[in-house]
Amino acid sequence: MRDASLVARIPTQWLRWGVALLLIALALFLWEGSKTFFNLPDYKLPHLAQIGEAFVRPTPQGPVWRVLLQDTLYTGLEAFLGFVLGGISGFLLAALFVHWKPAERGLMPYVVASQAVPIIALAPMIVVGVGRLGAPPWLSKAIIATYLTFFPVTINATRGLKSVDRDALWLMHSYAATRQQIFRKLRVPASLPYLFTALKISATASVIGAIIGELPVGSKRGIGVQIVVGSQYNTFNPGFLWATIIMAALLGMLFYGVVALVERRALHWKQE
Amino acid sequence: MVNSEWLTGMTRGSAGNVDSRRWQASILPPLLVFVVVLAVWELGVRIFQPPTFLLPAPSEISRTFFANFTELWTYGFNTFREAVAGFALGCGLGILVAIVVARSEVLSSVLLPFAVASNSVPIVAMAPLAIVWFGIDEGSKIAIVAVMCFFPTMVSMVRGLRTPSPAQVSLMRSYAANEWQIFRKLRWPAAMPFLFNAFKICATLSMIGAIVAEFFGGSVKFLGVYIKTEANILRTQNAWAAIIVACILGLSFYFAIVLLERKLMPWFTEEN
Repeated sequence: MRDASLVARIPTQWLRWGVALLLIALALFLWEGSKTFFNLPDYKLPHLAQIGEAFVRPTPQGPVWRVLLQDTLYTGLEAFLGFVLGGISGFLLAALFVHWKPAERGLMPYVVASQAVPIIALAPMIVVGVGRLGAPPWLSKAIIATYLTFFPVTINATRGLKSVDRDALWLMHSYAATRQQIFRKLRVPASLPYLFTALKISATASVIGAIIGELPVGSKRGIGVQIVVGSQYNTFNPGFLWATIIMAALLGMLFYGVVALVERRALHWKQE
Repeated sequence: MVNSEWLTGMTRGSAGNVDSRRWQASILPPLLVFVVVLAVWELGVRIFQPPTFLLPAPSEISRTFFANFTELWTYGFNTFREAVAGFALGCGLGILVAIVVARSEVLSSVLLPFAVASNSVPIVAMAPLAIVWFGIDEGSKIAIVAVMCFFPTMVSMVRGLRTPSPAQVSLMRSYAANEWQIFRKLRWPAAMPFLFNAFKICATLSMIGAIVAEFFGGSVKFLGVYIKTEANILRTQNAWAAIIVACILGLSFYFAIVLLERKLMPWFTEEN
């Protein structure tokens, strides 16, 4: 038993990287292998080289990868704006909930219910409605990302702000700490682990929200638009759809990764 | 003991008190919020008369809801069927893969981080690919929902199956239990709470996945396509009514899982 755990413990990091490389190699092999074996047409499964070629193909605006990168960044900005707004407003509402019970009693059930309900389905209406008002096109996407971030953050921040140790609370009271001091020195630090759990969920959700917001007819910029274009021209340029989806996946991973990184920085005291 | 239980159960005063306190604490406030929000919404729309496409009045939405009742629920159940089929497929595969992976310490410690990381990928963005592979109809939506449900189920299940301590396993072995018995009597029951957590997440995910995948295209007889189309032609009240159907179905799916959990694991739900 002890030997096995020793083997499993020391090289875990190396093992992980090794297995990651192995998995990627295996996936690439399976990709090309199944393409030849099942004789899959290019529009269903292009050659890997075709995807690479789709990335470097020249366009009037420069090579495809640069166009896609710009669109991905545009979507990323929409999502980021909504993520920040939703995070801040969610945390503020949680702070209100902790200090004013009636608000929590009246609103919390709806905040919780929002998590069991497909609120993302509102997206097309927001895009069309806000677009009709003459607002800039990024605004509706940011709004979608905002409310997708808002609800999980509110739930978890409330839980976190309440998760303070009872003895610590008594101690603060016994030193005659004010509500504000208790909030800043006790409740906020206690809420951080909960908050980051929500932020990691919201990071991906806000990217999804921004992409979905770009789907309705009339959108001009963003990786969501490129995905739609890619699916329309898939028979002519089979690598391009994959290229757009790879960019969307990278954007989601980037958002998640940054939040996870900040979490590790902010909570280093927690993990030791 | 029996007597006092009988007393507390039957004494009108105390039971009534508990009921009325519960009513005041957890039912009355959200109900009040509901009524106030609806009233303000209705009045606001009557007074300021924003264009219907921007914000229809609740009365208008409910009129549409009942006028198009059969149509809406037919579409709703079409989408719901996709969600349930994808849920069954994704969760089923997730459980099977988890059973294999959880058998090996190295395999699960190496694979889990990747499965967790897949959370950050906007899987719905792959809907156009799913359409290329499985057709524009139900197949592609079921596939997307299945992929979305697969990873959370697999991750939770591996964690759950691995919760029994080595000491527990050795005890079983010392009684000459075979692998199947260890699995059936120790690992499987230990994994149940984890599994149901995943089921609850996936119930919501599957409804979201089905609707959002439909935003990428399909027959109009499905909720997602219907919402997108109606929003585009500015018949927003229809889209709102469809969203109410989506919410009811989403909540029902979620509560069906909760009920099943209570039925199968009364001991666990009571502890919580």
